[in-house]
Amino acid sequence: MTISSLISLLLALIVTLRSSPVSASSDYHEQLILQPLPQSSLLASFNFRGNTSQQSFDNQHFQYFPRALGQILQHAHTKELHLRFTTGRWDAESWGPRPWNGSKEGGTGVELWAWIDAADDKEAFAKWITLTQSLSGLFCASLNFVDSTRTTRPVVSFEPTGDHPAVDSLHLLHGTLPGEVVCTENLTPFLKLLPCKGKAGISSLFDGHKLFDAAWQSMSVDMRPICPSDGECIIQIEQTVDMVLDIERSKRSRSNPIPRPVPNEQLLCDTSKPYNSHDTCYPLEKASGNAWSLQEVFGRTLNGVCPLAESDGSSDQSVCLRVPHERQVFHSEGAVEHKKADGFTRCFALSSSQPFDLSIPEQAVQTEVPLDEPVLHAERTIVGHGQERGGMRIIFGNPSKTTDVDFILFESLPWFLRPYIHTLQAIITGPDGVPREVPASELVTGTFYRPAIDRERGTQLELALSVPAASTVTLTYDFEKAILRYTEYPPDANRGFNVAPAVIRILNAPDSAPIYIRSTSLLLPLPTPDFSMPYNVIILTSTVIALAFGTVFNILVRRVVSVDEAAALGAQGLKGRILGKLVAIRDRLKKKETKVD
Amino acid sequence: MTSKTGDHESPHASATLTADTKPRAQRVPPPETPEAIQARFRVIAAFWAVIIFLGFPIWWKTTSIYRAHLPIQDMADWADGKTCRPVFPLEIHVAAPTMQLPESQHLVRTTQHALDDLNEFAAHHLRLKLTNDTEASTAPSGDDNATAGITADDGPDTALTVRVVPQEGLATPRSELRADTTQLDIFYPPSQAPVPSSSNPPLSVFIAEELQRLYSEEKATIAHILSGGTAGRDSETISRRLRRSMKYADTYHLSFSLFTPGSAPSSWHIEAAVQEYLSPLLHAFAPISNFTIDTQVQLYARFSPMTPAPVYDEAESAWTLKKEDLSAFINAAEWPLNPSIGSGPTLNFILYVPDPSQSPMIVKENRASSWIVPQWGGVFLLNPPLAQASKGGQTNPAHITQESLRPAFMTFSHQLLTLLGTPTTPASLPLRLQSLIRVRAATLLLSASSTMGSLARLTESLPSIPIPATVASSVSTTLSHLSSTCSHLRGGRFGAALASARIAESEAERSFFEKSMVGQVYFPDEHKVAVYLPLLGPIGVPLLVSLMKELKRLVAGWKARRRSTA
Repeated sequence: MTISSLISLLLALIVTLRSSPVSASSDYHEQLILQPLPQSSLLASFNFRGNTSQQSFDNQHFQYFPRALGQILQHAHTKELHLRFTTGRWDAESWGPRPWNGSKEGGTGVELWAWIDAADDKEAFAKWITLTQSLSGLFCASLNFVDSTRTTRPVVSFEPTGDHPAVDSLHLLHGTLPGEVVCTENLTPFLKLLPCKGKAGISSLFDGHKLFDAAWQSMSVDMRPICPSDGECIIQIEQTVDMVLDIERSKRSRSNPIPRPVPNEQLLCDTSKPYNSHDTCYPLEKASGNAWSLQEVFGRTLNGVCPLAESDGSSDQSVCLRVPHERQVFHSEGAVEHKKADGFTRCFALSSSQPFDLSIPEQAVQTEVPLDEPVLHAERTIVGHGQERGGMRIIFGNPSKTTDVDFILFESLPWFLRPYIHTLQAIITGPDGVPREVPASELVTGTFYRPAIDRERGTQLELALSVPAASTVTLTYDFEKAILRYTEYPPDANRGFNVAPAVIRILNAPDSAPIYIRSTSLLLPLPTPDFSMPYNVIILTSTVIALAFGTVFNILVRRVVSVDEAAALGAQGLKGRILGKLVAIRDRLKKKETKVD
Repeated sequence: MTSKTGDHESPHASATLTADTKPRAQRVPPPETPEAIQARFRVIAAFWAVIIFLGFPIWWKTTSIYRAHLPIQDMADWADGKTCRPVFPLEIHVAAPTMQLPESQHLVRTTQHALDDLNEFAAHHLRLKLTNDTEASTAPSGDDNATAGITADDGPDTALTVRVVPQEGLATPRSELRADTTQLDIFYPPSQAPVPSSSNPPLSVFIAEELQRLYSEEKATIAHILSGGTAGRDSETISRRLRRSMKYADTYHLSFSLFTPGSAPSSWHIEAAVQEYLSPLLHAFAPISNFTIDTQVQLYARFSPMTPAPVYDEAESAWTLKKEDLSAFINAAEWPLNPSIGSGPTLNFILYVPDPSQSPMIVKENRASSWIVPQWGGVFLLNPPLAQASKGGQTNPAHITQESLRPAFMTFSHQLLTLLGTPTTPASLPLRLQSLIRVRAATLLLSASSTMGSLARLTESLPSIPIPATVASSVSTTLSHLSSTCSHLRGGRFGAALASARIAESEAERSFFEKSMVGQVYFPDEHKVAVYLPLLGPIGVPLLVSLMKELKRLVAGWKARRRSTA
């Protein structure tokens, strides 16, 4: 049993829930899965799911579905919505595949995609703008900056997850804000959407300080209609929070958060290193694992159960922990522990009234919860130098020895980054380790490309790719950086411009849910002007024009005479007369002086 | 100023030079040829021609602001009330099916006299009209009359039907207002049947007094509104009532929320309750405003930490809230009470179920369980019977039935009427709604007029703001609808008047809050100097000087020519 099998189990659970006839028109579930990861990290996956019947949704009678969100969705004719707030980087090298197969995470910052019911593209975009503006207010995020330049219409990267009666009139729109900083002000409205509001149940563990201190965290809101073949349609809202906490870091007390070095005698050194000595140490991870408890890691204990979720049998055990069974786990009174047959999962049925805490002591264990290898490694960077041109390099690694990986690479680039698609090149490094340049068309099986229009829309590029087994493929293309107008620069122009992460949808396994990977977001430095420029320009051009004009005008208007003639003329002019008077006064003074003498 | 060459010498050098060269100074250059003078004149004229005919128009065009023409005087006249004096002639039908025609005519005439004597507010007067058509007097239901406002033809709306019926066994006349229709039944003892000879029969006086009483509140309200909130009887109570009510809107969003500090009750039978208790009322309101309804359930809704906690009162055996703390009852920071999306204000109705440990909860001073938050909504404290929990202690029921929602929704209906500004009297709901139509029409007429006045003053006091053409068209729409409102009022067609006043008000608001006008560009004069001076200084000075010299030469030449001719 691995994490991915756990995920598939969860998905199977969802599928069964979906397929089973819905007895109650509205119900609510929540679940928390805790899993220690290598490098003293802890993955906590929170999942909240509420259903409401289509009829009461349409009539605006909200019970488990939040009213604020429901009204926005109805106003914008949004049939399916996916909203993501993500910070940090998922370290796939050491943590393995992503939770929920990446389907519940977004690129760094904010990502939003929705299926909107509209007659044509124009109407859909108008509703999309309504949606982003309203969500911006609801979630205190800068979603109102998702304008036409940040909006794309992906063709093959996303599929609706709900059941829609009229798919033809639905328009998929996708927008990202890679520069958005996700923080506590986004968590508070997120919690308000939950029926138990972070006051009871697993949501009572949320603390903004801990959540946004995580090495990686992703909040998601998904809304979709589900229509069982034999019953009334329901509207489902699913909210998840996934975070990877550094246990050591989280255990620091809030009053004294300064990290302290581990005392020498407690250091565990790798003695096999050649440089190992009494003052040089290569620290090893503790074999016995970290000791932690909910109170220490989250700063608070779990406050009973959310009573709305009680009625359902499966979410009776709403907290699950994935550690080997041989590992000791202490839990507070009133809770009942259930060990699952897989040997690594145990779940807890909580008492409704008592607070719940669990603690894991340090213990040397033989078995570890095995982690899967991710299906695909992906890395994306900007290469090149200078203010004018650059290049993009995307590296895909297929760790599998036997199977090829088919996937779709979806890039949405800002308009001021102008890619040259004809420069698309591929270098493939096979199992022998020899890099070989191949034409890109050999790997790319399909291209969906929508070029940018300056200040109107960004580039949208979807590539269907295939990476052979045990190979690494490096895709590169060149781009040109546009020069922006003076007013288009943000206040911190020299920091660079965020480029949204690429979304990779892996197409293997035709029946199961798709796997998504997102690269990190990029920072693109653009040439920045001197911002005191306009006034300088006014002054400089005025001076030049005045000089040129003065010269030309004088040549045209002035009379040319010789020097002594000029003197004679000068005596008649205003200046000459003043000078003459001055001379006369001087002469008189001189005369007086001579008289005195 | 004459020659560049002279500038190269320092003043001192030139001074000595003049002293030295004075004897040789007779060497004056030959006079300029007329061609040279002509050429210089043409050059300067060409430069100035370019400036005047090209530069200046371009500058004017690019820096001027578009200001559409507004009928400032008309707008100010509307605001000052010079254009329209709103009047409210109410047509009241009198039906006396048992009386003879001359008798009933006499009754109507004498009653009208009595009414006119009683009335002290000229703008609002009642006009009696005899209809012995029995169908008309009995048939109209409240529903028809309420909608009559919109479907009115040219004739005035019928405000009320008075039915005069003799009844045996009465000492004095008696009146009865039907609660669901616009009909007033007057029963009189047959002995008091009006005699054509008497000039002031007691029955007429009675009817006049009844009618006067029926419309006294409406009269006072309209007098209060028209006088701008100063005059009128009961000015204090009326202005308090008007302050509580919402601003008029086309659409109101009604939001019903169930709040509870714990986890129960988590559901309520809201759809049926709204259908049963509220829909009829909203239907009756249809000619005045539209409504949307949404509901929500919010658990774990705690008081804000600033709110004083309820206190247990031994005598009442209940938890009590102090009256002055009610304003802090709603935890605006945490409770999700955001306004609904779409145009129009939101009215919030909160059903609060207290925690079992604090149940029952009432207001200390008057044992009330509900109150109005002015211009915002209403609150109702629902104390359901507690159930015994399995583990000891008491819990709220998990579900609130439709029946237990009944008192809450009765209160909410009442609060809704108050928040919408419906008068408290008379008892008949159709009459109150008709009265509301007139009050709203008067309010809208005045507010749109005063918006026009404000807009006129604004555009006059800020000459640098642009006035787009849309504002001008909005203003003209407003003015035309204002005058049609006025004429509808004069004709007694109040429903049509309200419809016109609605359009006038919304257009007036649109013109006043026009975005491109509000966001006026602010260019301080220092900035203009900083931008213009570097260019105009070095260029303008030589141009001006040369122009002056040329003019001087022309004037001198002209004078010389005149002298020579003289």
